[in-house]
Amino acid sequence: MANISDSMSTINSLEEMADGKTIIHQFHPMVKLVITLLYIVLVVSFDPYNITGLVFFAFYPVIMMALAEIPYKPLLTRLLVALPFAFFAGVSNIIFDRDLLFLIGTVPVTTGVISFFSIMIKTVFTVMAVLILIATTSLPQISYQLLSIKVPKLIVEQIMLTYRYISVLMQEVSNMYTAYMLRSPGAKGIKMKDMGIFVGQLLLKSFDRAENIYFAMKCRGYDGHYVYAKPDPMKSADWLFLLLTAGLLLLMRFFNLSQFIGSFL
Amino acid sequence: MHMADALVSPAIGGIMLAASAGAIAYSAYKCKDDLDEKKIPLMGVMGAVIFAGQMINFTIPGTGSSGHIGGGILLAALLGPFPAFLAITAVLLIQSLFFADGGLLALGCNIWNMGFYACLLVYPLVFRPIVKKGFTPTRLTVASIVSVVLALSCGAFSVVLETLASGITELPFSTFVGMMMPIHLVIGTVEGIVTGAILVFVYKMRPEILESSLENSKLTPGVSLKKVMLSLLVFAVVLGGAISLFASANPDGLEWAMQRVAGTSELEASDSVHNAFAGIQQATAFLPDYGFKSGSEEGSAAGTSFSGLLGAGVTLLLAGGTGYLIYAVKHKKKNQPEA
Repeated sequence: MANISDSMSTINSLEEMADGKTIIHQFHPMVKLVITLLYIVLVVSFDPYNITGLVFFAFYPVIMMALAEIPYKPLLTRLLVALPFAFFAGVSNIIFDRDLLFLIGTVPVTTGVISFFSIMIKTVFTVMAVLILIATTSLPQISYQLLSIKVPKLIVEQIMLTYRYISVLMQEVSNMYTAYMLRSPGAKGIKMKDMGIFVGQLLLKSFDRAENIYFAMKCRGYDGHYVYAKPDPMKSADWLFLLLTAGLLLLMRFFNLSQFIGSFL
Repeated sequence: MHMADALVSPAIGGIMLAASAGAIAYSAYKCKDDLDEKKIPLMGVMGAVIFAGQMINFTIPGTGSSGHIGGGILLAALLGPFPAFLAITAVLLIQSLFFADGGLLALGCNIWNMGFYACLLVYPLVFRPIVKKGFTPTRLTVASIVSVVLALSCGAFSVVLETLASGITELPFSTFVGMMMPIHLVIGTVEGIVTGAILVFVYKMRPEILESSLENSKLTPGVSLKKVMLSLLVFAVVLGGAISLFASANPDGLEWAMQRVAGTSELEASDSVHNAFAGIQQATAFLPDYGFKSGSEEGSAAGTSFSGLLGAGVTLLLAGGTGYLIYAVKHKKKNQPEA
């Protein structure tokens, strides 16, 4: 089952990347979280017709990916997930929004075409921003930051536990799937009528597994509360990076630098 | 049904994040009161089960296509509504971070569309009343199908509303709804049948699992159904008002905020600097008729012009070049023998 093994290798490779030692990896997780959110908000806040201002935001992901040494291949697989619906929304703009803007040679450019590209560019940028965050910051690091902004402990524990057991459960599903396929030659997937038993079995096994995990945790002193180490405070370099990047991003948002460059040509 | 960041405006994303955060805080509060500590690892493992379970494709007879489970109603039936909602939230966050399945700004929308309706609305109001009199295979199946269809429809309809209120797509409301609703009705029916089959199997093997979650999910005497419905109604009105406010007069929440703060929607450069650059621009411009002039005219698609697009192309090249340069320098450094 390609889907599961693909997902497992995606998680593994992202975990490996987050272990890196580049300058971006060393910044405080909170800084990266704040900048990522700011970047996404600024990118999606652009008017659908303003792609000239928008493209300037390419600098952030491109520079960050280079500095953090993130390869571009995982970006493509992520885009395959995010793009189809965006593409659909964008194409409908081409169809429904047909005011002529100008001609390039004899090719008419309509407002719909512009907003189509705007959606596509925004999708690529926002997907890149999240990739940069997760490829330079491990999920436990992000979770600890969530605690410090007062996200309830219970939900943070949920994130950590779910994350911990995803690979275990995917392995389990993968084994069950292989066993099923070996017993049903020629089948393209699990038959719908077998799904109740298949997932039901998985659930029962998981209930037992959860019980064992609970006993194991109990043996190690668990009393309903996780014990966390206090995350490191932000250093002055972190503050500097935060202010500088946030300042640059805001500058790029409110001054159309592309238009400025274009006017020199 | 996962929404990407590019399809929501900051205003809608923010409102939905706030709404979902409220629901999460309320669920966490409810769980704190009556959650057995044993259930915490169970919730985590069940979240992982749903995560892995969504990757199991099954074949739908007679169609040649395949489907997968969603899991909101299933989780609510197994864990009770509040723990299920928290588990779904964790799954959605991990999906958005690791697989770009749904965006971070859109996370609030996704939690609301896929978690809130199933766990906190449809489960207590539809699923539980149907099976309350006692579990039978028929009741479980009917409850599952009706609940999953309802939850999915609410979710799909919300996707339409959130996308349109964000003002990203020009798709007319009726066309959009006409496309989203029938397909999710079909998906919901299929998923409902499968969910029912899973629950019937679990009930036959381990009836106590479903029974205990039904016990736990009872609303405490202090919380009346009327109160819950009333607060939902108030929320809907506030949300509707806020959305229409943002969507009609202020397509861009950020610019709207700036207008409130600075009295202008665009930051103006100070006159002297502006004039100096305008002078340079006039002197050096290769396409003098384009550029700022058309950008300042009304209805000019917010500064999009041919020269603007050229500038955009150059910008992209510059950005790409910068990235390449950094890679190249880093690569060179690495390959240099240590002194």
